[in-house]
Amino acid sequence: MNTRKYLFYFLFCILFLSSCSDRPSAVPATFTDVKEAVRIYPDYQGVTIPPNIAPLNFMVIDDAADAFVADLSGLVCGAAADGKMDLDTTAWRQLLTQHRGQDIAVSVYARREQGWVRHPAFQLHVAEEPIDSFLSYRLIEPGYELYRQLGLYQRNLTNFTQTTIYENNRSYANEENHCVNCHNYQNYDTQRMLFHVRAAHGGTIITHGTEAHKIAIKHDSILGAGVYPSWHPTLPLVAFSTNKTGQVFHLLYPEKIEVLDTESDLLLYDAERNEVQNVLRSTDALETFPCWTPDGRRLYYCSAKMPDIEGENLEATLTSRFDSLLYDIYSMPFDPATRTFGEPRLEVDASSQGMSCSVPRVSPDGRYLLYTYGKYGQFHIWHKSADLWVKDLKSLSGEGVPLTAANSPDADSYHCWSSNGRWIVFSSRRDDGNFTRPYITYFSAQGHARKPFMLPQRDPEYNLLLLKSYNVPELTRSPVRVSIEEMNHVVRHTEAQVARFKN
Amino acid sequence: MKDGKRMLTCAFFLLVWLWAAWWMGDVFRIAYERSFFAPDSTLMHWLWQQSYGSLWILGRALLTLYHWPWVGGLLVAVLLTVGSWLVGYCLRLPRRWRWAQYLPACCWLCWVSWSGFDLYYMHEPGRILGIPFLVLVVCAVDAFVIWTFKRRRAVAVLEDPSAGKEAPVGWRYYLLSFAFFLSLIVLPCLLLHFRHPYLRPVTRMQVQLMERDYQGMVATGHKNAHLSYRPLAAYYAIGLARTGHLTDQLFDIRLEYDTVYAHSYGGDPEQALNYYLVDCDFQSGLVRPAMRRAMEELTMDGPSLFTLKHLARMALIEGEWEVARKYFHILRKAPFEGAFLQKYEAMLERPDLVQADPEFASLLKTAPVANAFENQFAKPCFLGYFAVAEQGRSIETLNYSLMANLYSKRMPDFLARCQVLVGSTPPRTIAEGLATQAPKNEVILRAFPQLQMDVQRYVGFLKVAAPYMKERERGGRELFDEYHGYYPYYYFFGNIRATVKRDEAHLETSKSGVN
Repeated sequence: MNTRKYLFYFLFCILFLSSCSDRPSAVPATFTDVKEAVRIYPDYQGVTIPPNIAPLNFMVIDDAADAFVADLSGLVCGAAADGKMDLDTTAWRQLLTQHRGQDIAVSVYARREQGWVRHPAFQLHVAEEPIDSFLSYRLIEPGYELYRQLGLYQRNLTNFTQTTIYENNRSYANEENHCVNCHNYQNYDTQRMLFHVRAAHGGTIITHGTEAHKIAIKHDSILGAGVYPSWHPTLPLVAFSTNKTGQVFHLLYPEKIEVLDTESDLLLYDAERNEVQNVLRSTDALETFPCWTPDGRRLYYCSAKMPDIEGENLEATLTSRFDSLLYDIYSMPFDPATRTFGEPRLEVDASSQGMSCSVPRVSPDGRYLLYTYGKYGQFHIWHKSADLWVKDLKSLSGEGVPLTAANSPDADSYHCWSSNGRWIVFSSRRDDGNFTRPYITYFSAQGHARKPFMLPQRDPEYNLLLLKSYNVPELTRSPVRVSIEEMNHVVRHTEAQVARFKN
Repeated sequence: MKDGKRMLTCAFFLLVWLWAAWWMGDVFRIAYERSFFAPDSTLMHWLWQQSYGSLWILGRALLTLYHWPWVGGLLVAVLLTVGSWLVGYCLRLPRRWRWAQYLPACCWLCWVSWSGFDLYYMHEPGRILGIPFLVLVVCAVDAFVIWTFKRRRAVAVLEDPSAGKEAPVGWRYYLLSFAFFLSLIVLPCLLLHFRHPYLRPVTRMQVQLMERDYQGMVATGHKNAHLSYRPLAAYYAIGLARTGHLTDQLFDIRLEYDTVYAHSYGGDPEQALNYYLVDCDFQSGLVRPAMRRAMEELTMDGPSLFTLKHLARMALIEGEWEVARKYFHILRKAPFEGAFLQKYEAMLERPDLVQADPEFASLLKTAPVANAFENQFAKPCFLGYFAVAEQGRSIETLNYSLMANLYSKRMPDFLARCQVLVGSTPPRTIAEGLATQAPKNEVILRAFPQLQMDVQRYVGFLKVAAPYMKERERGGRELFDEYHGYYPYYYFFGNIRATVKRDEAHLETSKSGVN
């Protein structure tokens, strides 16, 4: 009996001790002001945030302190020596509602050996305009050729819930090994979406409401399968690029890798008729990254002039001249009635400046063209020089300008507008140069960006520990409607329907 | 008699400890390095969501004790001894069947010895201790249920279940039992020795590499010179490169590679072809290829101490401070990595310290001086690159290049690079390489008149070797004892099974998958 009693006391003490943490719960009564700015991760100081964003949990970095308190305009949160602030979700929502269109002042207190100190306060500006509630992305290690476990996920931006859209394999299996990529939605809606499956179970998965099916785009008259997609905003059409892509690895160069197309064209795929046709089929130019305007009457894309290579090894020569491939942005008018394209028009002439641009995206109001601008090539996610630029399509000057406040010295690439045009989500390697993280920046009506912030996580340390990169962030208004079971069934157990070729 | 039983138990315990710490210590130490455990849900999430993920995490946690092989061995001995006791208790074996309680432990020992590299390379290292731990837990639960319902004394678990019911036993019984235990240990040792003779030397050299004991690596290579496996040759070459003996001892070991028992992720025979590439690329100064390969290993195997430490050190060399900080942050979550962190974290944002580190300084001597694409060179990169390297920042680059060409038997490229040695006395193996070409090219002797003796020896060797020229494999075996370490022997009888395309380097962009 005594043994049981002692065991009970022992367990009780363990539970009691573990429930007690050195996490203060109120602003200290006495403190000293210090001039040094507080160091927090992620860096949320001075950022503009949507009024519907999940709590910006952060971590105070201060080895000299053993406890912290943050006062966010009345919302008080304490942290133990690890500095992790876990903000109360309900109180956070109230705070954002109260401060919509205003600033939240954040004061951080740290308990050091000599007592509590207070760092200078910083601001969080709460914008009026919300962001679309869902962000989907692919999570994959920043490896180059191999893959084991990867998937498409969607994150509810108003909280911390992440759900799986599709995941390949949790453990490796030769016959099951496949890659998924290039997910794309029609006009921020999840009624229609697509993504590609490569290797085993290959094909393109196209969803319509709660149903999905697999198609294969292949024909002697087209270069290859569809790669970079763009759904037409209203019609069941997808513009694809089709690319012959290779990659090479630098031994000694600021960049690590070059992803090069040796051929690329544009295709138009009709999802209802399962028909595909060539849009641009040329050997003297490399076309890629198509993107529809919001009215669906114009198609933007990147194009580079193919170097004049005759009688030589094309692949070897292109690779050796990797930094001379410069892409410009063009657009073509589209007639939805006849489904025909007009003459291309040069929109951004980067090559004449000795530069290159990629991934054009037109804002939902049709006014701004957002793209990446770098020293060469089109796979800018691996180029440190890549920055986000924007061109005002209504401006007379027609010049592109950098989104200076949003850019960083490292790669800032793959980007997406919110449906109201006030937010841009983009991939950035700014944290460590290797692992991409989604950043969100406010885009004002005047065409300026503000300091971006990293996608908030429940555990602010999460992105420091995560050994995967976020690829292709895409905003949607709602979650994907096809269940993961259905996706699994379609990917693994259905045959791809080969698209008919249309002349 | 109870003392006798306890002695037997102790004997089993000590034998297993010896096996797990001394015999297999390096193997398990490397398994631990190829594993990763941190008490952090984010870091372990990828493993947690796999089948039996929680068990593998537990197994990895236990494997961390192999940071100190004798402590890890102690854990193995405890797991197997207690597990065997519990098996005996649960099965309530009569005395003459009591040996059977050790069979599960024996199976585990044999499985470990049978697996070789498959124990941890491209396979889940958490299985190593996760499985015996699971058996122990199941038996403990079973024993508890039996104890609860049968009301047997708890101490009976540690005692003879049939005590008092059977006739007392004599010393012969204990002697036989001890012999049985000994055979339990000897059997897996023999299995390992004959099935994977390379495993212990290779892991020994890997541990020596971690401890910067390069002389020890060379000594281990020499001690196992008759073995011929790619990973062994690779680590031997690293040892030679680090001790400056690449140009006189590379061919001292057999280089006619036998099959390594190793399987890829899908179960296909893989022969451990990639096992040593991160180390070889890194140690030869090819940091970028090593970095790329380490990242691919991270993708396929998940994080491991081996990969994370390499990535962290490579990031320091490349001056990528932020990502190095990230790797250090992750490594800080893993237990027992304080010494590594203390040494290398100090180099953050301090390129002067990176340059001053003896290991880094040494490998940077052979780093590329001009950009090129890894895909331009034959694989593996550390051979392909140096075989055609034309520029370098040190004499070591020239030596690597000469030796890569001698190894690949690319004699025109070798001779072209010997031009810069004219007027000097070439190192032993270089001289022997030149001697093989001297009868065909009289310019060589004019340029290197001191090679007369080498040429004479070569001519003598050709006479001895002539009967074997049509049976080179047999010649390789029969002439090894007398001629190992002599380049002409390697030239004619070494590495003849290799199917290296050595005449041209292809520029080949990888199309297999752009992630």
